[in-house]
Amino acid sequence: MKKVFTLATLFILILVAWPSVFARQRIVYTEEDYARLKAVIDHVENILKYGKRYNPNTELLPDAINTLTGEPAKWVFPNRASVPYADLANQQNFFRTLVALSTVTGNPKYKNQAVASLTEFMNNYQDPNGLFYWGGHRVINLDTLEVQSTENPDGPHELKNMMPYYELMYEVNPEATLRFMRQLWTAHYEWDTSDLNRHGSYSTAYDKNAFGLPIPDDVIKMGPDGRPIIPEDSPGKLPFVNSATDLSYAALTLSEYTLDPAPKEWAKYLMRQYNLASDPVTGMTVYQFKSTLVTKSPQECSDPAYTNSGCGDRAKRQFRDFGPIAREANIAWKNTQAMYVDNILMLVESGRKYNIPEFIQWARQYLEGYLKYAYIRVNGQNKIIPMFIDGTVTYGYVFPEVGYYGPSNSRLDYVEMPTTYILPILRTILNLKKNEDKIVLWNYLRDIMYTFGIGDIGELGGKKPNLDLDTSIDDPFALMAMLELYDATKNIQYLNVARTIGNNMLREKFHRGFFVEDEVLLYSRLDQPDTLALLILDGVLKGFKIDDLPFYLADSGYIHGYLLANDGVVEDRDYSHRIIYTKTIYDWE
Amino acid sequence: MKKLLGIISLIAIALFLVACDGGKETSEDIFALLMEAEDLSGMKNKMGTIIREDGDLGLPKQYKGVQITYKSRNPEIINDDGVVTLPGECWIESRDQKGEKVFEGLNDNWPVVIDVTLSYKGIERTAKLLFVVAPREGYTCDKYKG
Repeated sequence: MKKVFTLATLFILILVAWPSVFARQRIVYTEEDYARLKAVIDHVENILKYGKRYNPNTELLPDAINTLTGEPAKWVFPNRASVPYADLANQQNFFRTLVALSTVTGNPKYKNQAVASLTEFMNNYQDPNGLFYWGGHRVINLDTLEVQSTENPDGPHELKNMMPYYELMYEVNPEATLRFMRQLWTAHYEWDTSDLNRHGSYSTAYDKNAFGLPIPDDVIKMGPDGRPIIPEDSPGKLPFVNSATDLSYAALTLSEYTLDPAPKEWAKYLMRQYNLASDPVTGMTVYQFKSTLVTKSPQECSDPAYTNSGCGDRAKRQFRDFGPIAREANIAWKNTQAMYVDNILMLVESGRKYNIPEFIQWARQYLEGYLKYAYIRVNGQNKIIPMFIDGTVTYGYVFPEVGYYGPSNSRLDYVEMPTTYILPILRTILNLKKNEDKIVLWNYLRDIMYTFGIGDIGELGGKKPNLDLDTSIDDPFALMAMLELYDATKNIQYLNVARTIGNNMLREKFHRGFFVEDEVLLYSRLDQPDTLALLILDGVLKGFKIDDLPFYLADSGYIHGYLLANDGVVEDRDYSHRIIYTKTIYDWE
Repeated sequence: MKKLLGIISLIAIALFLVACDGGKETSEDIFALLMEAEDLSGMKNKMGTIIREDGDLGLPKQYKGVQITYKSRNPEIINDDGVVTLPGECWIESRDQKGEKVFEGLNDNWPVVIDVTLSYKGIERTAKLLFVVAPREGYTCDKYKG
């Protein structure tokens, strides 16, 4: 009888424990898992093989490889000079990929390559003033190994949401890394006015006492109507948030490495101006907290097509029909990726890593406001309603005249909401402490991910998900989100869907031995986030914690400058992502 | 002892039945139903068209047991019951940079956002609708803000 009693009790215990038995089942590494890793290894080996073959005298690699020929991508200047180039600001995710690959395989050669590239770069391509020769307008010519400007002969330093892999840079060359972080502020930031020029000059002398000044009063004051006053006093040096994120991230990292609290305080001061300028009712944030000073005459500015910032705030000029809310700072349909993706990722990561809880609260405020007022599902797709940050809807507005924001008769439509939004929302949730603070964002995330075709992520905390195990999504951000959800909840369903997404990525994006955005696209871009995401998946399957692996922060690398247009005749000025990364294998043939 | 065994068996069976209750709606079923209600209840039928008549939009108040309520951001044009009253003035009066030349008829139609709450058995989710409403015949357009 005792036996029966024991058996019955055991039966009950199993029934009660059933869900957790399932949730914590052991992970078995499968052939499919290895196939994904193998593809990443092949991709990396091909990048290294073809990248290094082009010029054996350097450890620097090109920004992208032609997947048909193995040749590096080339920037064709107006004088027809075709220049293979390396821009290390655009290779940060590749360095993260190399380090992650060494971590999951135990083979140090990949990290060693990252170290070799960075060593050569940091030893030879740092200006005496501390800025590196990289970013939007400077590249290294892989034929001559000389620095080349894509703008005028003295192209400026420009980083926009690049968030370099400082951990590795510091490991490689701490002195050069610290020098760069200091000079990033000296070259771009006006300490007394908080004007912030996205262009930094290589002529600005190195200032070893950077961050030495006392922190001034806040730039943003409140008006009698309770709204922030946006100063109209910037002499063409507008504090765009996509530059501010890089400045802040550098300063915070600098404080961490030097134990000097001053850079951290300046970073907090800078980011606080964006918070003060955000809408007091909706919570939506701003792209900039200043407008330009009018320096041009009314005669010069009488032509609406003349959009020089010396004619004043460009939204005020083009959207004057809306009254005082029409300011560049208040537009919530342009630069949305910078404000609500890259900015949030920096705020949350810095808030977590460097213990700045207000950064995480601001991220929550911005996202909640934006999603509450502007997020909409249209025809089964995630969209954003165009509006000013106070909630004034601009959907359907037809531009009466040409201006900075587009030609006359342009009509404002819904704004796309790509999968890049998933990670900032999720990471904000995961870094909030109280459940009641998380629920609003979680509910939006649940809708957004469902609409992207991933299925139902379930209730807050990862309870009862109903995910689509056959989802067709092949997206690295969705993959990283699933992995971070698994890391936070240990619910195996998230990991299972992560595997499906990884398999989809392998099927849809791995072609000719390289990861490419689409099968027909010609170039494989080193900075793409796919391989890093796949390696994080591999690491998690092998029992690594996500924090043990390189962390995704940004994917914003680009080159901007003068070039020869595709017609082979006209001089043009454009971005690499529109010139290089749109070319297809058919263009090549 | 027999009694005790009987009780234990009963508890075990009860627990088993609870665990296997396929008929009961789970929270994931309810979430799917709430999404379905947004997409298939017909509330979005008139999105993407220009509404040119007064009257009821016919916004559904229920769908398969889901209660649906609406809160308009421009209740004077579309009220919380989904009844349209065409506005007597244009949305935006547009002028050139000098504020002199008027672009008549360019931005007359109002975008109206409605916040939707869908609820079922105490579980809620939100959604949004955006309708475009034309002003009524004889409307005015003389409130330039620039």
